[in-house]
Amino acid sequence: MSREEVGLEEALEELERIVSELEGGKMSLERSLELYERGMRLVRLCNLRLDSAQRRIECLTGEVPSDLL
Amino acid sequence: MSQIFTVTNLNERIKARLENDPRLHDLWAQGEVSNFVHHRSGHMYFTLKDQDSQISCVLFKGQAGGVETEVRNGMNVLLFGDVAVYRPQGRVQLVARAIKRDSGLGFRFMQFEALKKRLEEEGLFDQEQKRPLPPYPERIGIVTSLHGAALRDVLRTIGSYPARIIISPAKVQGEGAEESIVSALFALQGRTDLIIICRGGGSAEDLWCFNSEVVARAVYSCDSPVISAVGHETDVTITDFAADVRAATPTAAAKIAVPDVADLRIKLQQIQVRIARALWTDLERKEERMEYLQRSLSPARMYSLTADLRQRLDHLSDRLDSAMARELKERRSRLDGIRGRLAAVSPQATLQRGYALVRSQRGGLVMAWEDVRPGEELVLVLGRGGLRCRVMECIEEREGWE
Repeated sequence: MSREEVGLEEALEELERIVSELEGGKMSLERSLELYERGMRLVRLCNLRLDSAQRRIECLTGEVPSDLL
Repeated sequence: MSQIFTVTNLNERIKARLENDPRLHDLWAQGEVSNFVHHRSGHMYFTLKDQDSQISCVLFKGQAGGVETEVRNGMNVLLFGDVAVYRPQGRVQLVARAIKRDSGLGFRFMQFEALKKRLEEEGLFDQEQKRPLPPYPERIGIVTSLHGAALRDVLRTIGSYPARIIISPAKVQGEGAEESIVSALFALQGRTDLIIICRGGGSAEDLWCFNSEVVARAVYSCDSPVISAVGHETDVTITDFAADVRAATPTAAAKIAVPDVADLRIKLQQIQVRIARALWTDLERKEERMEYLQRSLSPARMYSLTADLRQRLDHLSDRLDSAMARELKERRSRLDGIRGRLAAVSPQATLQRGYALVRSQRGGLVMAWEDVRPGEELVLVLGRGGLRCRVMECIEEREGWE
């Protein structure tokens, strides 16, 4: 997994945490901005993953039939 | 020592022995119907037989719902029920609860029921054993035929959801299918977050490999959760029971396996909005706090603060002044007292009692006879006034003077 690629499950879990920490609103300005930037970055990475609709199909016994690609 | 039974005791003992044996309950028997009587009471009496043996059977009126077909003599049937003993006649009989026509699949059907019961008792189908599916699987394994419609249905339904899809092809009907499915499942070990095992609709024989014990055990022991979708909605296989989730069709399996991409985009958008709104709210809160602090430090507020301080200072200095005045007065009176006491011990008081101070012309006090010479002028200081005198004689001895 490249550095720019993010696991959807982990990303969404982290986003939930960021949202609830931000909505709790008990942190310094630096921390708020940091969380905001991290959250926006994760959203962007998730969207990038959803956009890269390129199918990644493999077959354990050989070639994938061409009609499946 | 041998025991003598009455006939009744003996039959009761046989009855108790047979009817307490769990292996003689909930069983399937296969055979041909003969001597069929549908009694006017509603009960059915008949004999079930094969080439070598026969057993009496009864189906009571209340169980008529379990009879799927019209029962006739000579018919091959599958019978579900329990072994019982009819004590008055000492007759062992089969009390049936269900009868179905044996269409040749009968034996397989019994195998199915027996295997299902065995694995169920072993705990392979327990709900507590079912694993939750990952909400966002990254690697999806598919065990099915490479050329079937099922695989195409699954891939189409997964659509653009960004997961790695690993196909582990298997023969899903006919000779060798069971082994092929088992190896395909094992080949996926450690490679997936989720496995879909599926095949499209077919005849009961076609689907039979999914009712095998080895396949059920392989599904059960997979290292990631398994969704099973075999045949059409109405087909239920042993594999379905062993899987973590049963789906009605391959398409349904894929729908269960992955979230809808459009829904996911909406969710992400909502998260984005919430993050932005939360930051905004937080900033506003901080700004309000700043304003509050700023107001607290305004010139008017500072002025009133210093006025307060000044007033307190004045008050304190007033208190200090009066305290000092009191102290001064006190000290003065104490001083007067001391002065009085000092006066009491001063030479003046002594002089007033009749003593005199003797001063020489040089100013010093004369303490002894050798301090002066005869003819020297001295001053005597008395209680009132004084005397200037001249020394006539200096005498060492004091006798006669006192």
